[in-house]
Amino acid sequence: MAVLKWVRTLGITLPIVLAAFSARGADTVKLGLIEPFSGPIAAVGRDTLEIFEFFANEVNQRGGVLGGRHIEIVPLDNAMNAEKTTQQLRKVIDDEIRFVSQGVGSNHALNIIKFLMRHNRRNPDQAILYLNHSAVTTSFTNELCSFWHFRFDANVDMKVAALATQIGRDPSARKLYMLNQNYAYGQAFQAAAQRLLAERAPEAELVGDELVVPFGKVLDFTPYIAKIKASGADTVLTGNWGPDLVRFVKAAAEANLDVAFYTIYAGIPSSVAGIGAKDGIATQLKQVTEMHENDALYDQQPADLLDTYDRWRQQTGKSIYSERMRWTIEYFAAALDKAGSDDPALVAAAMEGMAMEGPAGPMVMRAADHQIIFPMVISTMTEDVGRPFIYDGEDYGVAFATDGWIMSDAIELPTTCEMKRQ
Amino acid sequence: MESIIFAMFNGVLYGMLLFLLASGLTLIFSMMGVLNFAHASFFMLGAYFAYQISEGLNFWAALFVAPVIVGLVGAGIERWGLRPVHRYGHVAELLFTFGVAYVIEELVQMIWGRVPVPYEIPELMSGALFTWQGFDYSIYRVFMLVVSVAIFVALFALLTYTRIGLIIRAAVSDPVHVATLGHDIPRIFMWTFGFGCALAGVAGVVGGNVLGTEPAMAIQLGPIVFVVIVIGGLGSLGGALAAALLIGIITRLAIFYDYGLGSLLLSLGLEIDTTGLLRDFTRITTAQVAPVLPYLMLVLMLIFKPRGLFGTRDV
Repeated sequence: MAVLKWVRTLGITLPIVLAAFSARGADTVKLGLIEPFSGPIAAVGRDTLEIFEFFANEVNQRGGVLGGRHIEIVPLDNAMNAEKTTQQLRKVIDDEIRFVSQGVGSNHALNIIKFLMRHNRRNPDQAILYLNHSAVTTSFTNELCSFWHFRFDANVDMKVAALATQIGRDPSARKLYMLNQNYAYGQAFQAAAQRLLAERAPEAELVGDELVVPFGKVLDFTPYIAKIKASGADTVLTGNWGPDLVRFVKAAAEANLDVAFYTIYAGIPSSVAGIGAKDGIATQLKQVTEMHENDALYDQQPADLLDTYDRWRQQTGKSIYSERMRWTIEYFAAALDKAGSDDPALVAAAMEGMAMEGPAGPMVMRAADHQIIFPMVISTMTEDVGRPFIYDGEDYGVAFATDGWIMSDAIELPTTCEMKRQ
Repeated sequence: MESIIFAMFNGVLYGMLLFLLASGLTLIFSMMGVLNFAHASFFMLGAYFAYQISEGLNFWAALFVAPVIVGLVGAGIERWGLRPVHRYGHVAELLFTFGVAYVIEELVQMIWGRVPVPYEIPELMSGALFTWQGFDYSIYRVFMLVVSVAIFVALFALLTYTRIGLIIRAAVSDPVHVATLGHDIPRIFMWTFGFGCALAGVAGVVGGNVLGTEPAMAIQLGPIVFVVIVIGGLGSLGGALAAALLIGIITRLAIFYDYGLGSLLLSLGLEIDTTGLLRDFTRITTAQVAPVLPYLMLVLMLIFKPRGLFGTRDV
């Protein structure tokens, strides 16, 4: 097994190295992908790269873009250090790459948005377009909105809106305990939830509202579990991710805390692996996503897409966690073709208002703030699924089953964006 | 009153886990004067070995075998890595262990992958032993407490009452004389280092399934371990125990009794700022700052009592 993992590591590293060498290849449209490919959370970056390369390859196999040109993903390692993200942007300029994507970490996204606002204003003929696949800070499509930024994931407020709507439908969610990470993202989650729960789940009472020190600093969540127990809560609502989610859920399961966990990021592969089947089921762990493999709509997707998914699972030994990275590539390809050019300004203009068929109905890239709008689904971890979660070929014996869909009209929130176009 | 006892009991449970983590580090430091930056990495190795062994055999085999392997790895690193570096002084040793931590982290990622491994609490001990204030304490929590206490008692007895302990302590204060008595000092140090690493391994076996076994665990746990031994006094076993319990109990109390700084100032009769620049400051509650309290204690300790609670030498 160990040897297998070695081979796998090599298999992931080698394409990065090769891609780095071939980055100067001629007739391709280059998309720089700035993510952590080294350091303790390299797993997230490498998974992202794998998805991007897979779906870019799909587009290329279909005949490419702009009449036969290929999309080439250029991986750029930021080692989860926001300063390195800026350095990599300089490299993007030097290498004449005109499109970048990033999504892991809103502080990196913020760096990119601010950097490009300045760079693109000063160098309009070398403008760079940023496709944000997962950074969720709401202000990027509100007061910080930019013509050069497009977001393919729901922002925090939209995700919380979906969760609050589902909590409103859930008759067993009457006493809520909220616990979030004490930094920009967790505070945004908290503020959005306080506002949206009052509107959408008026019968649910907030019996606790807590912020904790983020990023794995809390080793033992037991005292928080004791407080939740004492509050009489039947439901926990948390935006936590990474070790802050894994330890929280595991501590609750260990103490036999009888509550349901509403989360955003429970389905991220490393979280599923860390929490494990037993504890996830015991805490009725729920997530909010754009789609999942065990939803009834899955089998109704177009045949060629289902083929693609099957090939993905076979090639990588991994489940499909999210759709947003595929959408990023699909929108990119469609906008290139619609613009008929690889000029970032024209591609951006083509992307505005662009509609596509999503897994549960139409989705649209809202022109006003460059925020994608689409239906979302809440699902709960269970053993009773047709396609159990796999990662690196390992079957975890559980996956998520749908609780309910929240349609676009319930998720679409007003924007305060006043976009300056060029 | 009962809730104070409840919070303190939780603090003791958590504190003993911290002690288990720090005991090996303080042993190595007190006996060899080496500040082992890779200590948390040996903890991580213990957790990963335990996972691998419990996959093949069971938890009990892991509990005894994994620490031995970690100890042997540690002894090997001392013999072929640290010993040659020793003559260049403490800074070289420090840098060496710093490098070892990175190497171990990268190796762990190569062998077991970059996502957490499913190392679980043994089924036998996941049930509730007793319920207090509506809160279920699993058998495993209490098992962790028993292991920690047993390790403290065993270590203390070993160093104080046995011949080996006597020789080790003598080798620290007067290596030349001990060597002339026919004892092989480098070998004693090698096994001391190995033993300290094995203790980290035990902590890994026992704590890895509660804290989560993943490549980032060493980085996350490293700082708190150092806080424990600095507050306790570098190289003092009793100090490490006292500091671990102190940290455990204070952080638990801060979380249970969630006082806002604002209401605290109000009760002192001070005017508070609810709209101006300081409004975020007055909104802070003790529960929010609980995990950083140990670091605050560290800073205060270094200012007012740099030797720590029971330390005999300066930091």
